[in-house]
Order: sequence, then C-alpha cells, then structure tokens
Amino acid sequence: MSVRTKKRKLSRRKFMGRLGAATAAAAGAAALPTAARAAAPKREIQYGMLIDARRCVGCHACTVACKSEFDVPLGVNRSWVEYTEKGDHPFAQRTFLPRLCNHCSEPPCVRVCPTGATYKRRDGIVVIDKNMCIGCKYCLQACPYDARFLNPVTGTADKCDFCVHRISQGLVPACVNTCVGRARIFGDVNASDSEISKLIARNAVTVLRKEMGTQPNVFYIGADDSDEHDIHYTGQYIHVNTHRPKKERR
Amino acid sequence: MHGDELTWSLPVISYLFLAGMGAGALATSASVLLRSGPSGTYFNIARYGAFIAPIPVSIGCFLLIFELGTFHVGLWFRWINLYRVINLSPMSIGTWLLTFFIGVSVLYAATFLPRNAAPGDKWDLPRRLLAWVCVPLGIGVAVYTGVLLGAMPSRPFWNSPILAMLFLLSSLSTGIAGIMLAWAILHRKGDPEAEHQYRESGYLLTATDILLIALESLVLLLFIMYAHLTIGSVKHAISVILAGGPLATTFWVWVVLLGLFIPAAIELFLIMPRLLYQKTFEVHRSLEVFMPVAVLIGGFMLRYVVVTAGQITYPIGL
Repeated sequence: MSVRTKKRKLSRRKFMGRLGAATAAAAGAAALPTAARAAAPKREIQYGMLIDARRCVGCHACTVACKSEFDVPLGVNRSWVEYTEKGDHPFAQRTFLPRLCNHCSEPPCVRVCPTGATYKRRDGIVVIDKNMCIGCKYCLQACPYDARFLNPVTGTADKCDFCVHRISQGLVPACVNTCVGRARIFGDVNASDSEISKLIARNAVTVLRKEMGTQPNVFYIGADDSDEHDIHYTGQYIHVNTHRPKKERR
Repeated sequence: MHGDELTWSLPVISYLFLAGMGAGALATSASVLLRSGPSGTYFNIARYGAFIAPIPVSIGCFLLIFELGTFHVGLWFRWINLYRVINLSPMSIGTWLLTFFIGVSVLYAATFLPRNAAPGDKWDLPRRLLAWVCVPLGIGVAVYTGVLLGAMPSRPFWNSPILAMLFLLSSLSTGIAGIMLAWAILHRKGDPEAEHQYRESGYLLTATDILLIALESLVLLLFIMYAHLTIGSVKHAISVILAGGPLATTFWVWVVLLGLFIPAAIELFLIMPRLLYQKTFEVHRSLEVFMPVAVLIGGFMLRYVVVTAGQITYPIGL
C-alpha cells in the first residue's frame, strides 16, 4: 500500500464510501421480503374450519378419512389428533385437539417459497403445485404449526388442502364428512350468513399461536392449548401425545 | 440425539459453511486487490482468494441440490424451477445471487490464470472491474446465508436480525482462513522477494482476522445476551446452547474455544512483536497451518450449532 501512483490512488475515505454503498445495496436487497409485507386484503371467499373441541372424542376417524382420501404415505399426516393429558389423580383430564393446516391469511410458507409452488388461492385455501415444488423444505421450517411434511413418494412438500377436489364438487372435506361428533364445521368465514361465521360470532373461539400473526382460518371452541412447557409454572403434570413420529409438539 | 428428525441436516450445514467461506474469500480477495496499488505486495492474497472462492460455493450448491426432496425421488432436474421464478423469498434471491456469484467469481479467477499475472498487466482493468462487483456479491452471499435462516418467526433461535451479521463476520473470517491455509500449504521457500511478500501478506491477513474474530465474538455475545434477556420462546431456544442445554458443550468447546479463542490467542501472539516492536512477522510452520484450520472448524461448528439448535427448538405454547 506504500508504493502507489497518483493516478491509481483511491483514498481510504472514497473506498469506505464505496464499500458502504455496496453493503447498503446488499442489505437493501436482503431486507426486501419484510418490506413488501402489507396487511392482507380481505378476500371475497375465505374457506375455514371451526373445530368444537368439546365435541371431539379423539377417535381419529378424521385422521383415517384423510389418509384414505389422499393415500397419504406412512409416517406422515395431513390431519392428526393430539391428546393432552394433565393433572394428577383424581383431578386429571384428557382433552383432544384435532390439528390440520390453518390456511392462514398471512401464510409464512407462501412468503418463503422460492418457486411460488405454494400459493393462496382466491378462495383462501393454501395449496402446493406439485409440479413447481422442488422439495427444498423451506416451507416446513417456516410453518409455525408443523402442518407440512415432505411427501416421501413425490419428494415435494405436502399438507392439508381442505380437500379442494371435494369442495369444488359441493362436498365437504373428508374429515368433516366422517366426524362422528360433528365437531368440525367447514365453510366460508367471510360470508356473514354461513354456519361457520355464525358460530364464530356466537362463541368464544381461539386460534393456535395467534402471536405469530399468521391469522389462521381454523378456529377452535373449547380447545385446551396447554403445552408441555406449562409445567414450569403450573407445576401440573402435562403430557402431549402428538400421535406423530415427532414425539414433541412444535 | 435429534439427528434423524432434522429437516435440514448435514448438506445444508455444509452448504452454509462452504458458501460463507467462498464468499468471504472472494470479498477479501477483491477488496485487497482494490486497496493495494501496483507494487504487488498483496497481489498473491487476491490471487489465492480468487482461485479458492468459486470452489466451495459450487460444492455447497451441489450439496443443496442433493438435499432436495425431489432429487431423492429421481426428479434430478426439478431444481431448474428456481430459475423460472424470481420472488422475494430469501431462497429465490439467494439462488440468483449465488448464480451471479459463481459466474463472476469464475471470470474473476480467470483474470489471474496467466502465469505472469501481476498488477498492471493487460488483464488489470477487467480484473479491477470484476473486483468491484465481487465485493458486494461476496458480502451479499455471506449475509444471505444468515437471512435465509433468520426470515422465519416459527424458528425463534434463528429469528434474529443479528444472525446475518454473525454469519457475515464468520464468513469473512473463514474466507481469510481459507486463503491463509492454501498459501501456507502451497508457498515455496527460498526466494527472498517471495518471502517478503509472504510475510507482509501473512501479517495483513492475521491482523485482519483477529479484528474479525473480535467483532464476531462481540456479535455472538450480543446474539446470546439479547436472546437470554427476553422471555418466552427466544429464551427457551437459546437455552439449548447455554449451560445444561443439549448443545452447550458443542457450542462452547468447538465454536467458542477452538473456533474463536484459540485462533485469537495465536494471532495475538503472532502480530504483537511486529505491532509493538516493529519486529519481522514470523510464523512457525505448525501454527500457520493449525490456526486457519481451527478457524475453519469453528466456522463449520457455528453453522452446525445454529442450524441444529434452530430445528430442535420451537415457539412455546400453542
């Protein structure tokens, strides 16, 4: 750095200025995905599901109906039922929590998909284009509900799609059709006169992991969302059985 | 422990390390080239960096393709779909960045190919022009590896803005270590002019690396401190690398001790005589190999710990 011609001389200040500009440009490019986020426009149709956990008996009929509807490979589930056991005898309780894709209004999986294979349809259903998906598993990481999995047969991401092939024919999803306790109500949550929107209006409903800001469209009545971490402050025995190969709920 | 459950495992971990190292080597090479004048004292740093850069990045990209779900079921060219779309997904931006990176870094390396390549030769202008592109590309790729992980609220361990900064500093440090290691192995002793260049460059790289390691330690401290000072999911997530956590030993021994403290101590020991007493910069053969190897292992283990910890933790509560 000591020997240098006048012509070529690039002052330290100038260099730092240019380097700073280059870094700012790189950082700007990286910051774009978050900058582009805006409130989701209200859709004309937003299909959703209301699950009345009080009516669920934990029979897994929905899980089985879903498996047979899609021939879902062994070891993975589009829809599943979790058991939450808590308390010690005689004050013990077991509750059931049916789980599926939440078809969020702000789906994090759609934001991260590099090929646009995952997208939200006009009717609010989040679907995966099997021919575009490359199986990078980014959406599996981004989903806060662990609703996605890699289909071992197709090698692509897969999940619940509210049985689009059934609802396009005027039927209800397979899990709703089979539910023995009629715990599942399917419909358009944006239509004020639909059964689901009336029930959502008249009941105390919750969604899962609301703090994630994903705006889920699967609503629950009377769901016990206790978590195994709660033992640290409630002191009560809590065990969650996910009925999935992953023993821990995530 | 959780090995068979990881969605992203060794190929992705290796990719993050290799891409970071290549990006760091390119950014170092290009900035040294642009900073040094026609004397050519530091030209060999630029040369080694340019030759190293495209190799780990390309290997890393191949590993990524091998890891794809569609590749496993025989759809070997499904990844081409990445080039049919450009959107704001960090992975999409990263794909295009990496593509430009590999293209530009190969061209840049080609300008160093002639045996008598030196500052001021006929390739000087294209080399410098490419170097101006290489600096932002290198930094961009290094930052992107952190953004890729950091973009998801569903992974509290990763969802930190400082993770990209940590990966950038680690990338630059491992890139420099790669240059030092290659040069330490390949340089020929004997020629006094070459020896002089080697010593000067060695001092520059070592002194730069210790600064980067210091900054990296600071960023790592902030990363852990802020996560530990919050409550809820992030605190729960960071606890896996703190005392009592399943990854605590891996993190503190392999990343902090072997990857940061030991190389920093060696580098301090090496540069002090020249910095304080203007003595000649001398490195023992074993140290000049061990020190970059330690930095490289530390860089790999940092990716290993971050990628694993991010996937064994999740938001608490439902």
